[in-house]
Amino acid sequence: MADGFRWGRRPLVPRSAEAHTPPKEDRVFPSDWARTDAGVAVRQVLLKGAMHPLIRNELTLRVFGRDNLEGVDPPLIFYSNHSSHLDATLIMCTLPDRWQSKTAVGAARDYFFDVWWRQAFTALVYGAFPIDRSRGGRGAVDKARQLLSEGWSIVVFPEGTRSPDGHLQRFRHGASRLALETGAGLAPIAVVGAYHAMPKGRFWPRGGRPPVTIRYGRPFWPREVETHQELSRRMTRAVTELLHEETSTWWETLQRAQRDEVPSLMGPTGPGWLRRWEGSRPPARRGPDRVWD
Amino acid sequence: MPRPGFVLEVDERTPPLLVHEGEGFRMQSFPLGTRVVYPPDSLPGIRDVNAAIRHALLNPVGDAEPLPELLKPGMKLTIAVDDISIPLPPMRLPDIRQRILEQVIELAARNGVEDVKIIVATALHRRMTADEIKRMVGERVFRSFWPKDLFNFDGEDRDGLVEIGTTDQHEVVEISKRAAESDLLVYVNVNLVAMDGGHKSVAIGLAGYRSLRHHHNVETMLHSRSYMDPRPGHSAIADSATRMGRLVAANGLKIFQIETTVNADTFPANLGFLNKREWEWSAYDQGLMIAARKANDLAPPRARREFYRRIEAPYKLTGINAGEVEAVHERTLDNLHRQQLVEVRGQSDVVVFGLPYIGPYNVNSIMNPILVHCLGLGYLFNMYRNMPLVKPDGVVIMYHPVPWEFHQIHHPSYIDFFEEVLAETTDPSTIESKYEERYATDPWYTHLYRTSHAYHGVHPFYMWYWGAHGRDHAGDVIFVGGEPKSVARLGYRAAGSFRDAIEMAKDTVGPSPSITYFHAPPIMIADVV
Repeated sequence: MADGFRWGRRPLVPRSAEAHTPPKEDRVFPSDWARTDAGVAVRQVLLKGAMHPLIRNELTLRVFGRDNLEGVDPPLIFYSNHSSHLDATLIMCTLPDRWQSKTAVGAARDYFFDVWWRQAFTALVYGAFPIDRSRGGRGAVDKARQLLSEGWSIVVFPEGTRSPDGHLQRFRHGASRLALETGAGLAPIAVVGAYHAMPKGRFWPRGGRPPVTIRYGRPFWPREVETHQELSRRMTRAVTELLHEETSTWWETLQRAQRDEVPSLMGPTGPGWLRRWEGSRPPARRGPDRVWD
Repeated sequence: MPRPGFVLEVDERTPPLLVHEGEGFRMQSFPLGTRVVYPPDSLPGIRDVNAAIRHALLNPVGDAEPLPELLKPGMKLTIAVDDISIPLPPMRLPDIRQRILEQVIELAARNGVEDVKIIVATALHRRMTADEIKRMVGERVFRSFWPKDLFNFDGEDRDGLVEIGTTDQHEVVEISKRAAESDLLVYVNVNLVAMDGGHKSVAIGLAGYRSLRHHHNVETMLHSRSYMDPRPGHSAIADSATRMGRLVAANGLKIFQIETTVNADTFPANLGFLNKREWEWSAYDQGLMIAARKANDLAPPRARREFYRRIEAPYKLTGINAGEVEAVHERTLDNLHRQQLVEVRGQSDVVVFGLPYIGPYNVNSIMNPILVHCLGLGYLFNMYRNMPLVKPDGVVIMYHPVPWEFHQIHHPSYIDFFEEVLAETTDPSTIESKYEERYATDPWYTHLYRTSHAYHGVHPFYMWYWGAHGRDHAGDVIFVGGEPKSVARLGYRAAGSFRDAIEMAKDTVGPSPSITYFHAPPIMIADVV
């Protein structure tokens, strides 16, 4: 094999050739097969038999708040902050069984649906459907709506892309519009530590089993009279509160929320290096809970 | 609308690029900033080829009548066709010459013409074998005319040649007697590169040594800049052929020229990646490339050669014009340039060529070191208009294994030229004055040329002259992967790798040379401005 040749990977177009290279053929890899009974069964085996043990082996994983999903009827739109490729895997592996078997992840079409093997892997392991980030994503909204109407829950990342510095980014309105259109509930999830464990540019978690925490929040539903901007703000606040719980306590967060004083987690204003510096600060490693002091 | 050619600048995103090297290829990473000239995408072919041929024959261009009106009972009709040195690789059947011949002969038959001869215009090339001719003209034509009325041109048949006259530049014009004495000469041409066709067809294709020596010489080649640019004043050889052709026409020979152009579909689907730009290769293309490379490395030399010999280009017709020579050729060149012209800004210190496995003179044969020289410094170097891709005294780097290997039947005089002449000198002018006459008139070579399938005794000289301009222009010539002994015999230097070649080139062009890689085939012409 030729050194440096991108065998089976996304082809990169040399800059000077960009004007001479036609846009990629608009071909969508079919993903419906991954949500058939057989696809679901294979996915369950992969998630429980391979991905979850792998995650447990590579990370120090803690999960809270799954009880918030008890008694809730599907479908739900799970949404979370997004700072790492680990996020979707962590969510799919930690979802309660009832939800895991009927949840599909919205994955960026330009990244996950470009070469055949990545398409197949993404569809199989995450039951994924493509989200087009470049053209308003109309097709993706239609697909998501169809899935919700069929009783499937979906996982989306309203930030649209992984955070370059670990801080929360502004939420786009796609998920809130979808919730308003379909009436589906929204379940916030906070993923803490994934940025430190495997930031953008890494393809395997750091060594040393870095700590990662998943916090599931209480689902909520769009109100009858609510704009998508208002709903997006509510969604942001819900995730922010969950993230804040990690550095304070549930009780403290509740009190601050009551006073509308939950600090923004959008990161410090200032130069890019400062945001990255703060964002890459490793989360506190907690020891095992002590029975006595 | 197919994309035009363009010049890529190698950056960190650029994958290794494919470089031909004889019967094989390699993936080469080029230094950042290297310019790579890519040919235009292949033009769509004409869908109904037979209708296009019919239209061309009935609607000639220039001062010419439709072909049926030129065909009369009792007339003497000669049809000349280009030999298999073009197109390259040989065209997938049916060959365009077959399709044209069948229509021309059909018209002749319907108009009561009985005296028809078909001449394969080989000039001093080797005689084509019966199988080669059959493949080219098709079974029906072959069965009807071979061997009495379909034959190879013989440039040494004194009785078969006739002197037409002398041009104002004192060039003797001597061509096939049968063609010259015909009431109508129909020339069926394939224009693969810009120097094909036009007056060259008759004045060179049907001429012998006495006539060819006036333009196939060092002086003319040094003043053909380049011979792929047939505009008046740019190519001394094209100008000479034009003078000769006009003299032939002025002497009353009626010529009905049929010229065709093909697109850039050079390689078949199983080698489709060779027609594509590397960053556009699919996983399938990449897999094919790796499989082809591995198979090529593992294959015994005979099997490898046989594989390459069998490659047939799925060329499609992009244009056909018929009628008066110059009017036809003008349109042909327009068609050709539409497919092959790429604008390149400025020259560079180093130019890189990957030499493929085939050239015009080794179809069904072996590419010997002299043909390697001709293909690189002759053909590829001259694929330019205005000025060469490389600066004067720059360095030409070529990829080819340059094996010390010759076809004993096809290239006997090449062997002696390599062993005797090049062992003494590589200077084209010295070679021309000291040796050419002897080889050109050697009775044994002449005998082999006339009765066997050997190139004429003088042919290796022409191959050497073909590269004279490139040799004169370049400060150094380096072969990557070339066999040192045979490269040294050619007067060049061999390098083990591209990196070594660049280090060697720095002796000539300084420490940080600008590099241009001419990514051919498919064939293109760099319009250097």
